[in-house]
Amino acid sequence: MFYILLKRKALTFKNRLAALRGWQLAKNLAFLSVGLVMLLALYGGFQRLLNYLEGVQVIGPMLSWKLTSMVLLITFSMVIVSSIIISMTTLYYSSDLKFLFSCPINLRVLFLDKAFETVFYSSWTLLLAVFPYIIALGRVKQLEPGFYFSYIFAIVPFVLLAGSFGILFSMLVMYLFPSSKTRDITWLMGSLSVSFVYVAFRFTKPEKLLRPDALEIVAQYINYLQSPTAPYLPSWWVTKAMVSYCAGNWGAFFSYAGLLLAAACAVYALMYYLSGFIYMEGFSGAQTAPKFRGKPRLLAEQKLALKYAGSRDLLTCCWKDRLLLARDARYWSQAILIVALIVVYLFSIRQLPLDTQDLKSFVSFLNIGVAGFVMAAIGLRFTFPAISLEGNNYWILKAAPVTTVRIMKEKLLITLAPSLVIGAVLITFSNHLLSADRFISVLSTCTIVIAAFVISVMGIGLGALFPDFRVENIHQLESSYGGFIYMACAMGYLSLVVGIQAWPVQMHFAERFGRFHPWDWRGIALCAVAYMILNAAAVVIPWKLGLANLEKHEI
Amino acid sequence: MIKIENLTKTFGAFKAVDNLSLDIAAGEIFGFLGPNGAGKTTTVKILSGIMKPASGRVLVGGYDIVESPLEAKKILAYIPDEPFVYPKLTGFEFLRFIGDLYCVPYGEQAARIPQLLDIFELSAAGGELLEAYSHGMKQKLLIAGVLLRKPKALLFDEPTVGLDPKSIKRFKNLLLNIAKNGAAVFMCTHILDMAEKLCTSVGIIYRGSLIAKGTVAEIKNMAPGGPGRSLEEIFLELTE
Repeated sequence: MFYILLKRKALTFKNRLAALRGWQLAKNLAFLSVGLVMLLALYGGFQRLLNYLEGVQVIGPMLSWKLTSMVLLITFSMVIVSSIIISMTTLYYSSDLKFLFSCPINLRVLFLDKAFETVFYSSWTLLLAVFPYIIALGRVKQLEPGFYFSYIFAIVPFVLLAGSFGILFSMLVMYLFPSSKTRDITWLMGSLSVSFVYVAFRFTKPEKLLRPDALEIVAQYINYLQSPTAPYLPSWWVTKAMVSYCAGNWGAFFSYAGLLLAAACAVYALMYYLSGFIYMEGFSGAQTAPKFRGKPRLLAEQKLALKYAGSRDLLTCCWKDRLLLARDARYWSQAILIVALIVVYLFSIRQLPLDTQDLKSFVSFLNIGVAGFVMAAIGLRFTFPAISLEGNNYWILKAAPVTTVRIMKEKLLITLAPSLVIGAVLITFSNHLLSADRFISVLSTCTIVIAAFVISVMGIGLGALFPDFRVENIHQLESSYGGFIYMACAMGYLSLVVGIQAWPVQMHFAERFGRFHPWDWRGIALCAVAYMILNAAAVVIPWKLGLANLEKHEI
Repeated sequence: MIKIENLTKTFGAFKAVDNLSLDIAAGEIFGFLGPNGAGKTTTVKILSGIMKPASGRVLVGGYDIVESPLEAKKILAYIPDEPFVYPKLTGFEFLRFIGDLYCVPYGEQAARIPQLLDIFELSAAGGELLEAYSHGMKQKLLIAGVLLRKPKALLFDEPTVGLDPKSIKRFKNLLLNIAKNGAAVFMCTHILDMAEKLCTSVGIIYRGSLIAKGTVAEIKNMAPGGPGRSLEEIFLELTE
């Protein structure tokens, strides 16, 4: 039976590949190429880093293994968190479950199928990101191909063990509290954990590991390097297995690899046994909707519509989206992650080792690009998906007497406010932390406010150009072709903004350094015109293209 | 009220609707019959304005659905075959959303929404999120949404799927009342018995083309077996 279940997945995958033709095939190949380029870039970065570490006298090899154990520990934690979030959907809410539960399939076999699906979805991206690191490690340490096989041998039980945490957690929680509200709470807990791990990791200042001044107390440092990183966790066992393999210590290698394998088998045997008793209970509970009682009251937008009757359609869509956003736990999880991102961002700004006032002001200027990137990344989660997340319900708006342009304007209105607030907070606090001078502060603040508007318009426009009303979650949209185009356009726009403003900023610094007649007003006028043209193009082109596409889009 | 002129819709080389012409007067209930994949849903989607025709045109209350979509949609109501609704709105909020979209005055909404919820036995669930509603409850809510705004032309695509017998009976009575009050109804259905008893006229579409049109009696007379046969028998014979 398990074979039949696996076969259906293989067939789905095969048919999906076979269906790729023409534009779809070209799109996917382009996506694949970009992915490969990114992996190559990662490989280049890791190789440089590991080369540097290996080159450190005496402790070089220890440093690189220490880093490897840390990388594996982070991977382990991330797979656990992902599996907590993903297992809820795969085990209890995937669209094929109702059909599968109605089939004469052994409950435990069905559970096992969904458990492996969970492990796959929660680990494949992380494993892909770690892959260039392992290749670089093998190359830097000049290891034979057998090293990679030993890695694969150890990493399979490693991810199975990491994934089992989430699966077991979801299964027990759904058994004890069988309700769809449990899913929302779990998602929130998952996001909180990711945020916590992220912020905590940054606050430990990992850059100190690589700074030469950290090598002052050598003995203490060597002691730290030799100590195990979480010795009771599988990440350490994988590291030890790899170290043993490299040293040709077969006994230690097989004992650590065997430990991993035995632990994975034991955990999955336990879950297999438990699932027979508790999986059905949780699945049954997941079908029940949470109790909710909305109160019929006149909403703020409706009160406004009484005054501005011409905007009633816009205000109606606004209150609908506001209620949907407030009640959907997926958005809260995203909001928690964004707060963590902002905290880490500001902390990193504070930690920058900048000595002079001029350097601080210069970094404040460059910060426009970084703050813009953060805004674009947030836009990828909120603004770009706004149109597509109407989903199957889009027919309601399409059949209603509302124009497409009004729908797009409403989505812009809803997403612009948070984007503006986040941009303003980032740039104001960064400027304050960096003690930027007045010219740079005013320039960067105005630029970010304008960029917030432009990036939001771009997000809605490109979201309308690449709508996908069949997606079930934001992540599918983020990683879509349209999402990639949006990020590329936003990055291109920000690079050009920084490029155009570099000239006036150069004049400003020339004045600070006391150069005579630093301001070239013709140059300033040229930059201003170029800046206006850029903004107009970045707003008008995606908006018009998106509008034209959405108007002719058929459901 | 609904006028379809030489309507054609193609998907690549496939003709889903081929040169369809129909005229549905105010007060008429028109049953649109046909086997699966005949072009019923495509037709009703074009009539509702959510799909564009390849050629031909559709007039609703004199407004071209492509040229003047807003004017046409203001007097038009559409219920699709699958009742997709916003899962995180309550039943009450959804009706209010529909009322606001179609500019039903707030006072009228406040008075009529509780009445409609009561008629469709949804009062107890009115404050619950729609994710908790069954298929039939969502279908009833959509019908309530249509009644809230008193449209002049109504498009239904398999409206009774998922409804319990009591709700089907109530729906039929509502449909007769709506037509009596002067609205035109265009209804796609597979339930031939309902079409026979309820519709003032029917059309049969097969592979995109209209193969029969008229009152049930006229269609029975047209068929080779004569008026003694049921609509079901004639339908099966024509679409074989």
